Amino acid sequence: MQCEVASVPVINLYTVCYDSDNPWAPEAPLLSVLMNFSEEDLERLRPRLRFKVCYEVGFSCPDVDDIVQETIARFLLAAREEKIQNSAAVGAFLNGICRNVVSEYRRRNMRDEPMPEVVPEPPGKRIGEADLFDLREAIAQGLSQLSERDRRVLRGFYLEEKSKEEILKESGLSDENFRVVLCRAKERFRAIYVEQTKHRTPWRH
Amino acid sequence: MSMAFHHDPVFREQLIVRYLGRGLDAELARQWENHYLECQDCFEEIRASELLIRGLGEPTVERKRVNDVTVLKFAPGTQLLAASLELAELSDVIRLESDTRVLIDLSKVSRIDSTGLGMLMNCYCHAVKNAGALKLLNPDAAVRRVLSVTKIDSILQTFEDEAAAIESFGIARA
Repeated sequence: MQCEVASVPVINLYTVCYDSDNPWAPEAPLLSVLMNFSEEDLERLRPRLRFKVCYEVGFSCPDVDDIVQETIARFLLAAREEKIQNSAAVGAFLNGICRNVVSEYRRRNMRDEPMPEVVPEPPGKRIGEADLFDLREAIAQGLSQLSERDRRVLRGFYLEEKSKEEILKESGLSDENFRVVLCRAKERFRAIYVEQTKHRTPWRH
Repeated sequence: MSMAFHHDPVFREQLIVRYLGRGLDAELARQWENHYLECQDCFEEIRASELLIRGLGEPTVERKRVNDVTVLKFAPGTQLLAASLELAELSDVIRLESDTRVLIDLSKVSRIDSTGLGMLMNCYCHAVKNAGALKLLNPDAAVRRVLSVTKIDSILQTFEDEAAAIESFGIARA
């Protein structure tokens, strides 16, 4: 099932030149970035939007990229027509468009054949075999750097959904130590994510 | 609202865990999405958490069957020490799965202590009692030294080649 990308007026992505060194710095509002983006800027937005779409329709949905493209096209059109009233809530506006596009996609699919509302699947399903192997190795490597105690704490927090209080009681950690364990682990895995995305097609992660 | 997501890393992490587990109420999920679509920092935190959850959820002992022999392999960097999660999992795999012809690949095990050795011997006894066998494959130099010093290598047969190790189970049964 394809989205109706062709029905949206085509925006010339290269008509406006944006000369900021880092348009994605926190101080650069999303609206100004999107109104003045380059292809590179667009590629940096795409993974976030893609993740959001995957979250909604499932990571193995074949039409994810069409939905992302449709969302971006509609957003740019709205921005061009100055329909975005609140420039401080551009993320909300973009999210709203994305939700509409996903709803339309689901309705079209429902007409053709019933499908579940949400199909949660591991993101690994869309990753190639070689990348998946590298990713698993990197994850295993990241885990091996954690101490037994840290792993138990993190399992409790992430997998067993224990409250912070329960974990502190069981592990004997202080609140501060718990934060350190959490932040240290996150730092390692964030580095793994960043490293892995360098090796893949930018909009596929 | 967006500042609230950055104010407390533990709060943000709890939010991410609930979001990924689809346990956030619709309104909070919408606010979080509005935010991470604008915030690269929070987006990277989500992806990092996803990887961490995936890693933590992976079995630490990989199990495969080759010619009626169960081959167990640990994740890289495993240490078979007291309180290691891998020890409990190893015990579960052997005892609960009723495997009696077991080959344990130690190539990824970097350290082993008396508790780890004790667990190997327990698993060996379990296998032998049930008319089976337990053998070791490819221990690294440090582990091999411990096995030698404790003379456990005279009880647990050790191989360097998986095919030869698998074949030896057939010979033992014959």
